[in-house]
Amino acid sequence: MEEIILYRYLSGEASEEEVHRVFSWVAESGENRKELIRLKQTWALAASAAEDGEKAWDQVKSQLKTDSPRITLWLSFIKYAVVGILLVGIGAISQKLLTNKAQETIYAENTSFEVPVGQMSCVFLPDGSLVHLNSESKLSYANDFSAGNRTVELCGEGYFNVQSDDEHPFVVKTPGKVHVKVHGTAFNVRAYHDEGKIHTVLEEGSVSLIDNIGNELTKLVPGDKASYSAETNKLTVSKVRTELFSSWKDGLITFRNERLGDIARMMQRWYNVEIVFDTPQLADELYNGTIMKNKPIDQILEVFRVTSSIEYTITPRVDKPTLIYWKSKRK
Amino acid sequence: MNYNKNSLNEFLFIRFQKGDELAFEHIFKASYNQLVGFCLQFVNNREEAKGIAQEAFVNLWLNREKIVKVTGINAFLYTSAKSACLKHIRHLQVVKKYSDSKLNEIEEQLQIESLDSLDLNSMEYVELNELIQQSIQNLPEKSRMVFEKKRFEGKTNREIAEELGITIKSVEANMTRAIKTLKANLTEYLPLFFVLIILS
Repeated sequence: MEEIILYRYLSGEASEEEVHRVFSWVAESGENRKELIRLKQTWALAASAAEDGEKAWDQVKSQLKTDSPRITLWLSFIKYAVVGILLVGIGAISQKLLTNKAQETIYAENTSFEVPVGQMSCVFLPDGSLVHLNSESKLSYANDFSAGNRTVELCGEGYFNVQSDDEHPFVVKTPGKVHVKVHGTAFNVRAYHDEGKIHTVLEEGSVSLIDNIGNELTKLVPGDKASYSAETNKLTVSKVRTELFSSWKDGLITFRNERLGDIARMMQRWYNVEIVFDTPQLADELYNGTIMKNKPIDQILEVFRVTSSIEYTITPRVDKPTLIYWKSKRK
Repeated sequence: MNYNKNSLNEFLFIRFQKGDELAFEHIFKASYNQLVGFCLQFVNNREEAKGIAQEAFVNLWLNREKIVKVTGINAFLYTSAKSACLKHIRHLQVVKKYSDSKLNEIEEQLQIESLDSLDLNSMEYVELNELIQQSIQNLPEKSRMVFEKKRFEGKTNREIAEELGITIKSVEANMTRAIKTLKANLTEYLPLFFVLIILS
């Protein structure tokens, strides 16, 4: 195939006879088809129109709603500060955490994203929905997703911002017995295998929790947190401050009366370390505070040392996660 | 006026995230024409392409708090545009390009496949404009000029030939070279960009 004819086809300046030739060349082999599609994609991405930007801006401007930001001033300040710190590069924030791409595997029937230990990732689904994935999480969907089957499977923790589409409900399947059916909304789902619990926190919009066969168990309103325990097979719904549960996606973690033992389990997941307590009582102590997850582990440990009653030692090990030893200051 | 070069810096991005309309206006003007250009390849109707692009920007504004970093803007815009273009093609609203219906049928399949297999998540990790700029900087002078006239001014091959005083064949040859280089560079930088599942 002459390359010039391919180009003429791309630029829309080929005669029908030439288009015929291009299409029969495409039909000859899968390789040719692939080549043409690559060219079309390149052409589309490199394209630009020569429209009047001012005029278009006036049209768009009239459609913008000037809604005030939903987050509290305090939180938005912190967010600003986080970005600011990233910009000037103070504090040796591991930017890897933010920018590393989830490993993507493409199979014939399935697309899946896996986030390694200690990292976070952000995935756009084919319908434009956005999912933030936390450390050690896996998200997959069937390849008929874009055809309207908006079902994803989540193992781990994800913050979803779903494009609304009444005709095609969005469903998040978890490894447990409770799943989430969405009606266009922002929410957080936490369903790690090793925790035995599934937490769903709704920030805005509405979601239903459904069982394995699709029956609705309950409907959540914004501010609700639903927790399902595999052990007791019970579902409880309570009112929470939702930003405490989704702040991880911004790199901020807020703890409100969380057991140090539970915090340690999360930290093991984020930083790929092993945390050992001096005494079981210490693991039961409760902690309040906010940490910035994107900081290196030694800085986080320092924050805990200053703001709680624990001291730590760090022992790097070959072929094994680094060992962190937590013991009580009061002795 | 050329807004394209590196205009989406971090500072602008933070202001945009915080709801600053001026910052958004800047972002709009830096990317609008490119997004229209993208849509135009698939919907084949200028008004429709403009409508889709504008809607993508309105969506971007409404979702600004959820964009985590500056390259997320393009990823969001192109993802929105991609869905809208696919919807448009699937509802058979596309103006037919050819008089032969068989050709239109194949064209439609190729369009859907091109859109479907575009991995826009990769876009989050690289600034598309920078990549294109880098690629064309390394082209011979003439190829670059031809490419820019085509891309930014939307001229036909004949018009470019007349302006530069070269033959149409030469315009085509130079454009072919530019596209080849771009294709190679986009593939290299975005290994997942063109992961395809061919089911033909």
